[in-house]
Amino acid sequence: MAAKTIKSPYPGTFYRRSSPEAEPYVSEGDEIEAGQVVGLVEIMKNFHEIKSDEAGRVVSVLLENEALIEAGQDVIELG
Amino acid sequence: MSGSAGILHVTDGGLQTTVQDYPGRPGMLAQGFYPAGAMDHLALRAVNLVVGNPLGTAALEITLGGVGFRPDRAATVCVGGATAPVTVDGEEVELWTSHRVPAGSEIRVGIAEGPGFRQYLAVAGGIAVPELFGSRSTYTMGALGGHEGRGLVSGDELPLGAETDAAAGRRLAAGARPEHARDWQIEAVRGPQATPDFLTEEDMDTLFGRWWTVDPNSNRTGIRLESHKFDWARSSGGIAGGHPSNILDNPYAVGSINVNGDLPVILGPDGPTAGGFVVAATIAHGAFWKVGQLRPVGDRIRFREVSVEDAIEIDNELTGRLTEASIESV
Repeated sequence: MAAKTIKSPYPGTFYRRSSPEAEPYVSEGDEIEAGQVVGLVEIMKNFHEIKSDEAGRVVSVLLENEALIEAGQDVIELG
Repeated sequence: MSGSAGILHVTDGGLQTTVQDYPGRPGMLAQGFYPAGAMDHLALRAVNLVVGNPLGTAALEITLGGVGFRPDRAATVCVGGATAPVTVDGEEVELWTSHRVPAGSEIRVGIAEGPGFRQYLAVAGGIAVPELFGSRSTYTMGALGGHEGRGLVSGDELPLGAETDAAAGRRLAAGARPEHARDWQIEAVRGPQATPDFLTEEDMDTLFGRWWTVDPNSNRTGIRLESHKFDWARSSGGIAGGHPSNILDNPYAVGSINVNGDLPVILGPDGPTAGGFVVAATIAHGAFWKVGQLRPVGDRIRFREVSVEDAIEIDNELTGRLTEASIESV
Protein backbone atom coordinates (compact mmCIF):
# COMPACT_ATOMS: atom_id res chain seq x y z
CA MET A 1 0.00 0.00 0.00
CA ALA A 2 1.46 3.34 -1.04
CA ALA A 3 -0.31 5.39 1.61
CA LYS A 4 1.33 8.61 2.78
CA THR A 5 2.57 8.36 6.31
CA ILE A 6 4.02 10.64 8.96
CA LYS A 7 7.16 9.16 10.49
CA SER A 8 8.83 9.76 13.84
CA PRO A 9 12.26 11.37 13.47
CA TYR A 10 13.51 9.72 16.65
CA PRO A 11 13.13 6.44 18.52
CA GLY A 12 11.49 6.42 21.93
CA THR A 13 8.07 6.42 23.58
CA PHE A 14 5.19 7.75 21.45
CA TYR A 15 2.50 9.99 22.96
CA ARG A 16 -0.71 11.07 21.28
CA ARG A 17 -1.33 14.01 23.63
CA SER A 18 0.68 16.76 25.30
CA SER A 19 -0.35 15.67 28.81
CA PRO A 20 -2.48 12.89 30.28
CA GLU A 21 -5.45 15.30 30.56
CA ALA A 22 -5.15 16.88 27.11
CA GLU A 23 -7.09 15.94 24.00
CA PRO A 24 -5.13 13.93 21.43
CA TYR A 25 -3.18 16.08 18.96
CA VAL A 26 -5.07 14.42 16.11
CA SER A 27 -7.77 11.80 15.65
CA GLU A 28 -8.98 9.82 12.69
CA GLY A 29 -10.82 12.00 10.19
CA ASP A 30 -9.06 15.27 11.22
CA GLU A 31 -7.87 17.57 8.46
CA ILE A 32 -4.32 18.67 9.27
CA GLU A 33 -1.96 21.30 7.90
CA ALA A 34 1.68 21.04 6.91
CA GLY A 35 3.84 21.62 10.00
CA GLN A 36 1.12 20.61 12.44
CA VAL A 37 2.17 18.65 15.53
CA VAL A 38 0.62 15.17 15.50
CA GLY A 39 2.37 13.54 18.47
CA LEU A 40 5.37 13.50 20.78
CA VAL A 41 8.29 11.13 21.08
CA GLU A 42 10.14 10.95 24.40
CA ILE A 43 13.78 9.91 24.34
CA MET A 44 16.71 10.60 26.67
CA LYS A 45 14.44 12.55 29.05
CA ASN A 46 13.37 15.00 26.33
CA PHE A 47 10.15 15.35 24.37
CA HIS A 48 10.28 16.01 20.64
CA GLU A 49 7.33 17.03 18.49
CA ILE A 50 6.37 14.87 15.53
CA LYS A 51 5.15 17.16 12.73
CA SER A 52 3.49 16.51 9.41
CA ASP A 53 5.40 17.55 6.30
CA GLU A 54 2.19 18.04 4.38
CA ALA A 55 -1.54 18.75 4.65
CA GLY A 56 -4.04 15.92 4.54
CA ARG A 57 -6.67 13.93 6.35
CA VAL A 58 -5.77 11.51 9.12
CA VAL A 59 -6.84 8.07 7.95
CA SER A 60 -5.39 6.17 10.86
CA VAL A 61 -3.24 6.64 13.96
CA LEU A 62 -1.05 3.56 13.64
CA LEU A 63 0.19 3.29 17.22
CA GLU A 64 -1.18 3.05 20.73
CA ASN A 65 -0.31 5.80 23.19
CA GLU A 66 3.05 5.05 24.90
CA ALA A 67 4.13 2.58 22.21
CA LEU A 68 7.89 2.09 21.89
CA ILE A 69 8.90 3.23 18.40
CA GLU A 70 12.00 3.26 16.23
CA ALA A 71 13.43 6.18 14.27
CA GLY A 72 11.61 6.53 10.97
CA GLN A 73 8.66 4.39 12.06
CA ASP A 74 5.24 5.25 10.58
CA VAL A 75 3.05 6.96 13.15
CA ILE A 76 0.07 8.25 11.18
CA GLU A 77 -1.44 7.39 7.82
CA LEU A 78 -2.67 10.32 5.77
CA GLY A 79 -5.28 10.24 3.01
CA MET B 1 51.12 20.05 6.41
CA SER B 2 49.85 22.90 8.49
CA GLY B 3 47.45 25.63 7.57
CA SER B 4 44.83 27.95 8.93
CA ALA B 5 43.01 26.13 11.61
CA GLY B 6 39.54 26.71 10.18
CA ILE B 7 35.95 26.37 11.29
CA LEU B 8 33.50 23.47 11.25
CA HIS B 9 29.98 24.74 10.63
CA VAL B 10 27.13 22.73 12.10
CA THR B 11 24.29 22.42 9.56
CA ASP B 12 22.22 19.96 11.60
CA GLY B 13 22.85 19.00 15.24
CA GLY B 14 20.37 16.11 15.46
CA LEU B 15 19.22 14.54 18.71
CA GLN B 16 22.39 15.27 20.71
CA THR B 17 25.84 16.00 19.30
CA THR B 18 28.53 17.03 21.76
CA VAL B 19 32.25 17.70 21.70
CA GLN B 20 33.98 14.90 23.64
CA ASP B 21 37.53 13.81 24.19
CA TYR B 22 39.09 11.05 26.26
CA PRO B 23 39.46 10.54 29.16
CA GLY B 24 37.63 13.77 29.94
CA ARG B 25 38.27 15.17 33.45
CA PRO B 26 39.09 12.27 35.73
CA GLY B 27 40.15 12.97 39.30
CA MET B 28 37.78 15.86 39.92
CA LEU B 29 34.96 14.21 41.87
CA ALA B 30 35.82 16.26 44.95
CA GLN B 31 35.22 19.41 42.88
CA GLY B 32 31.84 18.08 41.73
CA PHE B 33 32.91 17.02 38.24
CA TYR B 34 32.15 13.63 36.82
CA PRO B 35 34.65 13.08 34.01
CA ALA B 36 32.41 13.51 30.94
CA GLY B 37 34.27 12.31 27.81
CA ALA B 38 33.21 9.93 25.06
CA MET B 39 30.62 7.33 26.07
CA ASP B 40 32.05 4.92 23.50
CA HIS B 41 35.71 5.49 24.28
CA LEU B 42 36.73 2.74 21.87
CA ALA B 43 35.10 4.39 18.83
CA LEU B 44 36.38 7.87 19.75
CA ARG B 45 39.96 6.63 20.05
CA ALA B 46 39.64 4.52 16.89
CA VAL B 47 38.48 7.40 14.65
CA ASN B 48 41.28 9.57 16.02
CA LEU B 49 43.77 6.80 15.26
CA VAL B 50 42.49 6.60 11.68
CA VAL B 51 42.90 10.35 11.00
CA GLY B 52 46.32 10.42 12.68
CA ASN B 53 45.35 12.37 15.83
CA PRO B 54 46.48 11.55 19.36
CA LEU B 55 43.86 9.02 20.50
CA GLY B 56 42.16 11.24 23.08
CA THR B 57 41.70 14.26 20.78
CA ALA B 58 38.36 16.09 20.95
CA ALA B 59 35.89 14.89 18.31
CA LEU B 60 32.12 14.93 17.90
CA GLU B 61 29.90 12.41 19.64
CA ILE B 62 26.72 11.99 17.57
CA THR B 63 23.59 10.35 18.98
CA LEU B 64 21.53 8.31 16.49
CA GLY B 65 22.69 10.39 13.48
CA GLY B 66 20.74 12.74 11.25
CA VAL B 67 23.43 15.43 11.43
CA GLY B 68 25.47 17.61 9.06
CA PHE B 69 28.72 19.58 9.18
CA ARG B 70 30.58 21.83 6.75
CA PRO B 71 34.29 22.60 7.21
CA ASP B 72 35.49 25.92 5.76
CA ARG B 73 38.83 24.36 4.82
CA ALA B 74 39.83 21.05 3.31
CA ALA B 75 39.86 18.46 6.08
CA THR B 76 40.65 14.83 6.77
CA VAL B 77 37.77 13.16 8.57
CA CYS B 78 36.66 9.74 9.78
CA VAL B 79 33.29 8.57 11.11
CA GLY B 80 32.99 5.38 13.16
CA GLY B 81 30.57 3.82 15.62
CA ALA B 82 26.98 2.76 14.95
CA THR B 83 26.53 1.94 11.28
CA ALA B 84 24.76 4.68 9.33
CA PRO B 85 25.07 6.11 5.82
CA VAL B 86 27.82 8.76 5.73
CA THR B 87 27.99 11.11 2.75
CA VAL B 88 30.26 13.91 1.55
CA ASP B 89 28.31 16.21 -0.78
CA GLY B 90 25.86 13.36 -1.31
CA GLU B 91 28.49 10.73 -2.19
CA GLU B 92 28.48 7.81 0.22
CA VAL B 93 31.80 7.12 1.94
CA GLU B 94 33.02 4.25 4.11
CA LEU B 95 32.90 4.26 7.89
CA TRP B 96 36.08 3.73 9.93
CA THR B 97 38.02 5.22 7.00
CA SER B 98 39.72 8.60 6.63
CA HIS B 99 38.60 10.81 3.76
CA ARG B 100 39.95 14.09 2.44
CA VAL B 101 36.97 16.42 2.04
CA PRO B 102 37.12 19.76 0.21
CA ALA B 103 36.54 23.16 1.82
CA GLY B 104 32.81 23.91 1.92
CA SER B 105 31.66 20.32 1.43
CA GLU B 106 28.88 18.94 3.58
CA ILE B 107 29.52 15.83 5.64
CA ARG B 108 26.28 14.11 6.64
CA VAL B 109 25.74 11.18 8.94
CA GLY B 110 22.35 9.51 8.43
CA ILE B 111 20.20 7.72 10.97
CA ALA B 112 21.66 4.59 12.59
CA GLU B 113 18.96 1.96 12.37
CA GLY B 114 20.76 -0.25 14.85
CA PRO B 115 22.48 -2.06 16.27
CA GLY B 116 24.37 0.75 17.96
CA PHE B 117 23.38 4.30 18.85
CA ARG B 118 26.33 6.71 18.61
CA GLN B 119 28.82 7.76 15.95
CA TYR B 120 32.07 9.68 16.33
CA LEU B 121 33.39 12.16 13.79
CA ALA B 122 37.09 12.93 14.08
CA VAL B 123 38.76 15.72 12.13
CA ALA B 124 42.55 15.70 11.74
CA GLY B 125 43.75 18.49 14.04
CA GLY B 126 40.80 18.00 16.39
CA ILE B 127 37.90 20.16 17.52
CA ALA B 128 39.65 23.10 19.15
CA VAL B 129 37.03 24.44 21.57
CA PRO B 130 38.70 25.91 24.69
CA GLU B 131 39.92 23.46 27.30
CA LEU B 132 38.23 23.53 30.69
CA PHE B 133 40.29 21.91 33.47
CA GLY B 134 42.39 20.04 30.93
CA SER B 135 39.61 18.69 28.71
CA ARG B 136 37.38 19.81 25.84
CA SER B 137 34.59 17.38 26.77
CA THR B 138 31.03 18.57 27.23
CA TYR B 139 29.67 17.81 30.70
CA THR B 140 25.96 17.92 29.96
CA MET B 141 24.75 17.76 33.57
CA GLY B 142 26.93 20.73 34.56
CA ALA B 143 26.42 22.54 31.22
CA LEU B 144 30.19 23.01 31.07
CA GLY B 145 32.98 22.38 28.58
CA GLY B 146 32.64 21.54 24.90
CA HIS B 147 30.79 24.17 22.89
CA GLU B 148 28.97 26.41 25.40
CA GLY B 149 28.38 23.37 27.61
CA ARG B 150 25.63 22.02 25.39
CA GLY B 151 24.66 19.90 22.43
CA LEU B 152 25.26 21.42 19.00
CA VAL B 153 22.57 23.09 16.92
CA SER B 154 22.41 24.29 13.35
CA GLY B 155 24.45 27.48 12.96
CA ASP B 156 27.09 26.65 15.58
CA GLU B 157 30.70 27.23 14.53
CA LEU B 158 33.43 25.05 15.99
CA PRO B 159 37.11 25.99 15.81
CA LEU B 160 39.28 23.33 14.20
CA GLY B 161 42.84 22.60 15.26
CA ALA B 162 45.66 22.90 12.73
CA GLU B 163 46.46 19.71 10.84
CA THR B 164 49.95 18.45 11.40
CA ASP B 165 49.71 15.46 9.07
CA ALA B 166 47.28 14.58 6.31
CA ALA B 167 46.21 11.00 6.93
CA ALA B 168 43.54 10.26 4.31
CA GLY B 169 43.16 6.79 2.84
CA ARG B 170 43.56 4.86 6.08
CA ARG B 171 41.06 2.54 7.66
CA LEU B 172 40.57 0.47 10.76
CA ALA B 173 41.06 -3.20 9.84
CA ALA B 174 37.87 -5.27 9.99
CA GLY B 175 39.22 -7.38 12.84
CA ALA B 176 39.81 -4.32 15.01
CA ARG B 177 36.30 -2.91 14.65
CA PRO B 178 33.86 -3.30 17.52
CA GLU B 179 30.89 -5.60 17.15
CA HIS B 180 27.50 -4.15 17.92
CA ALA B 181 24.36 -6.04 18.94
CA ARG B 182 20.82 -5.56 20.25
CA ASP B 183 21.53 -8.04 23.06
CA TRP B 184 24.76 -7.06 24.77
CA GLN B 185 27.04 -8.91 27.12
CA ILE B 186 28.81 -6.38 29.34
CA GLU B 187 31.57 -7.32 31.76
CA ALA B 188 31.22 -6.08 35.33
CA VAL B 189 32.99 -6.52 38.66
CA ARG B 190 30.97 -7.31 41.80
CA GLY B 191 30.55 -4.51 44.34
CA PRO B 192 31.56 -2.29 46.08
CA GLN B 193 28.24 -2.91 47.90
CA ALA B 194 27.20 -6.49 47.19
CA THR B 195 27.22 -9.66 49.32
CA PRO B 196 27.08 -10.37 52.19
CA ASP B 197 26.19 -7.01 53.76
CA PHE B 198 23.79 -5.55 51.21
CA LEU B 199 22.49 -8.13 48.74
CA THR B 200 22.00 -11.88 48.85
CA GLU B 201 23.82 -14.42 46.66
CA GLU B 202 20.49 -14.98 44.90
CA ASP B 203 20.22 -11.26 44.19
CA MET B 204 23.67 -11.30 42.63
CA ASP B 205 22.74 -14.37 40.59
CA THR B 206 19.76 -12.41 39.30
CA LEU B 207 21.87 -9.33 38.56
CA PHE B 208 24.36 -11.37 36.54
CA GLY B 209 21.87 -13.92 35.24
CA ARG B 210 18.91 -12.14 33.70
CA TRP B 211 18.46 -9.90 30.70
CA TRP B 212 17.91 -6.23 31.55
CA THR B 213 16.08 -3.99 29.09
CA VAL B 214 17.37 -0.44 28.52
CA ASP B 215 14.76 2.27 29.25
CA PRO B 216 14.17 5.06 26.68
CA ASN B 217 14.96 7.65 29.35
CA SER B 218 18.64 6.81 29.31
CA ASN B 219 21.31 9.33 28.39
CA ARG B 220 24.89 10.38 29.14
CA THR B 221 23.96 10.79 32.82
CA GLY B 222 22.65 7.28 33.33
CA ILE B 223 21.28 4.21 31.63
CA ARG B 224 18.06 3.21 33.33
CA LEU B 225 17.22 -0.47 33.43
CA GLU B 226 13.94 -1.85 34.74
CA SER B 227 12.53 -2.15 38.24
CA HIS B 228 13.28 -5.36 40.07
CA LYS B 229 12.49 -6.33 43.67
CA PHE B 230 15.73 -7.65 45.13
CA ASP B 231 15.55 -9.74 48.32
CA TRP B 232 18.29 -7.69 50.07
CA ALA B 233 20.45 -9.04 52.86
CA ARG B 234 19.10 -6.50 55.35
CA SER B 235 15.73 -4.97 56.12
CA SER B 236 16.64 -1.28 55.91
CA GLY B 237 19.49 1.15 55.37
CA GLY B 238 19.55 1.97 59.09
CA ILE B 239 20.58 5.56 59.76
CA ALA B 240 21.04 6.07 56.00
CA GLY B 241 17.37 5.49 55.20
CA GLY B 242 14.43 3.15 55.32
CA HIS B 243 15.05 1.27 52.08
CA PRO B 244 17.81 -1.37 52.11
CA SER B 245 19.36 0.28 49.04
CA ASN B 246 20.13 3.40 51.13
CA ILE B 247 23.70 3.92 52.32
CA LEU B 248 25.54 6.94 53.68
CA ASP B 249 26.62 9.09 50.75
CA ASN B 250 29.78 7.90 49.04
CA PRO B 251 31.52 8.63 45.73
CA TYR B 252 30.42 6.74 42.62
CA ALA B 253 32.64 5.30 39.89
CA VAL B 254 31.70 5.72 36.21
CA GLY B 255 29.94 2.53 35.19
CA SER B 256 28.46 1.90 38.64
CA ILE B 257 25.36 -0.29 38.56
CA ASN B 258 23.57 1.86 41.10
CA VAL B 259 20.49 0.29 42.67
CA ASN B 260 18.20 3.21 43.39
CA GLY B 261 15.41 1.67 45.44
CA ASP B 262 14.32 -1.12 43.12
CA LEU B 263 15.70 0.49 39.96
CA PRO B 264 19.20 -0.33 38.70
CA VAL B 265 20.84 2.53 36.79
CA ILE B 266 24.25 2.44 35.09
CA LEU B 267 25.99 5.73 35.83
CA GLY B 268 27.25 7.37 32.65
CA PRO B 269 30.18 9.80 32.20
CA ASP B 270 27.99 12.83 33.02
CA GLY B 271 26.47 11.20 36.11
CA PRO B 272 26.42 12.23 39.76
CA THR B 273 29.75 12.28 41.62
CA ALA B 274 28.30 10.89 44.84
CA GLY B 275 25.11 9.59 46.38
CA GLY B 276 23.48 7.32 48.90
CA PHE B 277 22.49 4.17 47.03
CA VAL B 278 24.10 0.77 46.83
CA VAL B 279 26.39 0.00 43.87
CA ALA B 280 25.93 -3.73 43.33
CA ALA B 281 28.51 -4.03 40.55
CA THR B 282 30.76 -1.83 38.42
CA ILE B 283 31.23 -2.15 34.68
CA ALA B 284 34.80 -2.91 33.62
CA HIS B 285 36.31 0.24 32.11
CA GLY B 286 37.39 -1.69 29.03
CA ALA B 287 33.77 -2.78 28.48
CA PHE B 288 32.19 0.60 29.20
CA TRP B 289 32.31 1.62 25.52
CA LYS B 290 29.37 -0.77 24.95
CA VAL B 291 27.23 1.42 27.22
CA GLY B 292 27.68 4.21 24.67
CA GLN B 293 26.16 2.01 21.99
CA LEU B 294 23.08 0.87 23.91
CA ARG B 295 20.00 1.75 21.92
CA PRO B 296 17.36 2.86 24.42
CA VAL B 297 14.50 1.23 22.54
CA GLY B 298 14.60 -2.43 23.41
CA ASP B 299 18.32 -3.23 23.67
CA ARG B 300 19.03 -5.77 26.38
CA ILE B 301 22.05 -6.31 28.62
CA ARG B 302 23.40 -9.30 30.41
CA PHE B 303 26.17 -8.50 32.87
CA ARG B 304 29.01 -11.02 32.88
CA GLU B 305 30.83 -11.16 36.20
CA VAL B 306 34.58 -10.74 35.91
CA SER B 307 37.40 -10.31 38.41
CA VAL B 308 39.44 -7.12 38.75
CA GLU B 309 42.30 -8.96 37.01
CA ASP B 310 39.98 -9.84 34.09
CA ALA B 311 38.83 -6.22 33.92
CA ILE B 312 42.43 -5.03 33.62
CA GLU B 313 43.00 -7.63 30.89
CA ILE B 314 39.94 -6.39 28.95
CA ASP B 315 41.28 -2.83 29.10
CA ASN B 316 44.74 -3.96 28.02
CA GLU B 317 43.26 -5.78 25.03
CA LEU B 318 41.47 -2.59 23.99
CA THR B 319 44.58 -0.45 24.36
CA GLY B 320 46.55 -3.02 22.39
CA ARG B 321 44.02 -2.90 19.59
CA LEU B 322 44.24 0.89 19.24
CA THR B 323 47.63 0.97 17.52
CA GLU B 324 49.04 1.37 14.01
CA ALA B 325 48.95 -2.42 13.66
CA SER B 326 45.16 -2.11 13.29
CA ILE B 327 45.40 0.38 10.42
CA GLU B 328 45.47 -0.55 6.77
CA SER B 329 45.71 1.55 3.60
CA VAL B 330 42.63 1.85 1.42
